[in-house]
Amino acid sequence: MLSDILYRVRSLIRRKRVEQELEDELHFHFEQAVEKGIRAGLSRDDARRQARMLIGGVDQVKEECRDVRGVRPVEILVQDIRYAQRMLRQKPVFTAVAILTLALGIGANTAIFSIVNAVLLRSLPFPEPDRLVRIFFSNPGLGMRGVLYSVPELEDLRSRAGVFEYVTGTERGSVNMTAGPQPERLEMITASVNYFRMLGVTPQIGRLFGPEDETPGLAPSAVISDSLWRNDFGGDRGILGRTIRLDGEAYQIVGVLPSGFRNPGRTSAHDVDVWLASGFMSPADPKPLRSARAFPGALGRLKPGMTLDQAETRLAAMAAEIRRDFPADYPAQAQWTVEIVSMQDDVVGKVRPMLLVLLSAVTVIVLIVSLNIANLLLARASGRQQEMAMRAALGASQERLIAQMLTESMLLSFIGGIAGIATALAGLRFLLQFMPRNIPRLTEVNLDWRVLLFALLMSLLTGVIFGFAPALYATRANLLPAIREGARGYGSGAKDGRFRDVLIICELALAVVLMVGAGLLLRTLRSLIEENPGFNPTQVVAASVNLPFPSDPAKDPYHTLARQIAFYRELGRSLASIPGIAQAAFVSHLPTSGISFQFSLGIKDRPVRTEEDLHAKEILISPDYFRVMQISLVRGRYFFESDEEGKQRVAVVDESTARRYWPDGDALGRRIRMGQGAWMTIIGIVKDVKQDGLDVAGLPHVYVPMYQDFDVADGYVFRDFVIVARTALPVSVLEPQIRRQVGGVDSSLPVYDVASMDELIDRSLASRRFTAQMVGGFAAVALALASVGIYGLLSFMVGQRSREIGVRVALGASRADVMRLIVTKGVILAVLGIGAGVLVAAGASSIMSTVLYGVRPHDPGVFLIVSVLLFIVAILASYLPARRATQVDPNIALRST
Amino acid sequence: VSTTIELPQGTLDLLILQTLAPAPQHGWAISERVQQVSSEVLSIRQGSLYPALHRLERRGWIKARWGVSENNRRAKYYELTKTGRRQLELEKDAWLKLTTAMAQVLGIT
Repeated sequence: MLSDILYRVRSLIRRKRVEQELEDELHFHFEQAVEKGIRAGLSRDDARRQARMLIGGVDQVKEECRDVRGVRPVEILVQDIRYAQRMLRQKPVFTAVAILTLALGIGANTAIFSIVNAVLLRSLPFPEPDRLVRIFFSNPGLGMRGVLYSVPELEDLRSRAGVFEYVTGTERGSVNMTAGPQPERLEMITASVNYFRMLGVTPQIGRLFGPEDETPGLAPSAVISDSLWRNDFGGDRGILGRTIRLDGEAYQIVGVLPSGFRNPGRTSAHDVDVWLASGFMSPADPKPLRSARAFPGALGRLKPGMTLDQAETRLAAMAAEIRRDFPADYPAQAQWTVEIVSMQDDVVGKVRPMLLVLLSAVTVIVLIVSLNIANLLLARASGRQQEMAMRAALGASQERLIAQMLTESMLLSFIGGIAGIATALAGLRFLLQFMPRNIPRLTEVNLDWRVLLFALLMSLLTGVIFGFAPALYATRANLLPAIREGARGYGSGAKDGRFRDVLIICELALAVVLMVGAGLLLRTLRSLIEENPGFNPTQVVAASVNLPFPSDPAKDPYHTLARQIAFYRELGRSLASIPGIAQAAFVSHLPTSGISFQFSLGIKDRPVRTEEDLHAKEILISPDYFRVMQISLVRGRYFFESDEEGKQRVAVVDESTARRYWPDGDALGRRIRMGQGAWMTIIGIVKDVKQDGLDVAGLPHVYVPMYQDFDVADGYVFRDFVIVARTALPVSVLEPQIRRQVGGVDSSLPVYDVASMDELIDRSLASRRFTAQMVGGFAAVALALASVGIYGLLSFMVGQRSREIGVRVALGASRADVMRLIVTKGVILAVLGIGAGVLVAAGASSIMSTVLYGVRPHDPGVFLIVSVLLFIVAILASYLPARRATQVDPNIALRST
Repeated sequence: VSTTIELPQGTLDLLILQTLAPAPQHGWAISERVQQVSSEVLSIRQGSLYPALHRLERRGWIKARWGVSENNRRAKYYELTKTGRRQLELEKDAWLKLTTAMAQVLGIT
């Protein structure tokens, strides 16, 4: 076995030497034979003749010996590659165009795939990530998913469910950190002590939470992120034991997370920088009652061997038991239950459709590129028929010729693939800059082996696509006429023409599909931009400022509602004193931000109907909010400063809510309540606001005056208000002013996320805009490629049929006739291609419906515009070759036989 | 009418191995030797000797070495390797079994 390999390797790498030895050996034999003949009395010439006869043809013997070496396929391949190289070099323009388009196509595809790979395909960077889940509590009977939960319910998951190895409660929030000269706002997570053990993380220095942090309330230890460590603490390795103040309370830094660690959760504007551990059982925490639901999130690690389905079934059964055991805490109509979703889905589920749309679009581009090259190769192949016929006549087998042609295409696609990888490498960084920030895991994007494999497969695939047709075509050619007629014959038969037509039609059809996709996405974007948000975002600036919320009431400067209200009123006055600010107000959740409090909605004097889905979102505002945002009043009145604690509880609802629940009566004066809160009287109806994002129809919204109701849930007081100000000043001018005014009221409060409302709306569309622009760009490329394809085909046709055209002109055909001949061809191709494309697009566009808004997948307008646009481009592309056809001089054309 | 018979498939290898058993030889000598011992009955197209030699070399049964011939020429000598020698025994054995069996079937014995 070993000798065999060594023999083959030697035959390959010392080929010259081996050949020489064979030559010498046979020569020696020959001479011996001749000498023997001479000894037997023959003349030298006769002896040579006889020797030659005895040996048989020397070349044949050599060939047989070469076959024995077992490296023929490799040698043939090497030969074919050399030949292919020569052919490619002979046509530098063709080769350059082909490689360039391939590099761009494969490069774009590889770049997008590397993002898909990192975001969707690669597992989360934790040990056994399949077992990590996010846990939701839901009231399907009320159509509410992800409702708050209570401490006993968290305990149920641990002791009663029997499906989890670890369960950890998490509370995401932000805190004011005072460590340096400027207070800073940090994203923080408060989690159960086992949080990091559940994820399976090891720190880069220090320790993570452990048994020493087990306390009923918050442990005095903090774990910080690598970026906070580097940015705020200069990467000091002696940081352990240092104290940081979060919302006025001191914590010791006990550990720093590794740089790759990101909190597994939906990506918001900021990454989490601080982690605290809590037992969630201290007096400051919600009471351990089933009804004291105040926790938003829980994560879990399933027991080994437990599947998601098994766990779901078990949890549903547990929820049913709990509902039965505590009927008072779980109203029957809510159908309270526990659900889980894999953490991977939770993190990336939302961006999947968008990324898949991008990947499909860029794959269509690669297909079009391949078809284009196939067409070019086919044109060349008909020019090479004579060569092929000659080689076939000289004894090359059909397979050999196909292999030869395929080698050429594969070499081309391989070079294109390598260039594509280089393009992807260069372009990826550029692309990432334009990716919307809210796509998770973008920092993990790189070119790993999977991406490289993908790129190679892609280039292989393109090579096969554009290689096979010409290879088959060129070798199937009829030998005799090809040789007889020579290169300039009528060589290309009808079959060849038809095949190239089919390629062009496919190319056009693919372009239609891509253009329709782009059209739908752009229409979506436009309808979102044109969507009336229900308020006037121009000249509004928003800024966040949060009151600290220390766990120890003694350290809380804003312990009572009265003090909080006093703070906001004073801040409001200070802000109004800034020259350039017309009016300022506060709101719990900015419109289009997509977050708000969600409660079941109670309506006085209305029988509870179990099948009805009564819930609403509550937004706390200061009285001037509607005026600042210019949300128009439909009926009733806005809030007054006097709508404060101790007065009649009031609320404002939006128009659709009023219409929905009081379709034939007046909502004004009716009484509603949120959850189990106090009854409020509706005193005003305002226009609908796109509170949950421009693309969300939205639930009923109930506005409540903040000075009456900070206490949104049992014991949970909201302290994270956003400032909104109507101003003509730009953000950059206003920001330091706002900072100064806030600092004047309380110097420990950081101001963050200062941005104009226009910008925030814009940001909420970032993902969609990016997708629409990318696909739009791809569609433009597809259009260009398709028009180049038509142009190339028709030009080739004009060249080939110049003699026929000459005859026609000689026989009296007018310029218009000749023109019509060519343009008609273009029109037929365009109509067939567009027709096929419309059919395919109509079939495929419905899979896009999840990413569309305000436009139907079969929007006739989009289909019409795309068809007309492509048709016009096709006609233009046919015009140039047609004009060239009219310039055919019959004298020259007919004589050049 | 030819007095020589075509060599059955595979026997050429056996003949070559047998010829090389006593001492290393070059191709010409092997060819001469095979003709000689087979009493000029077995004809080997001299050309087909070389592919066979190369095949045996690739299999590792013989190995080649350049040496000097009796008439002072550079010639490629082949010699049996250890595996080659073992193979020769195996093939001889197999051959014997085959011919005996064939003879019995054909009722020649």
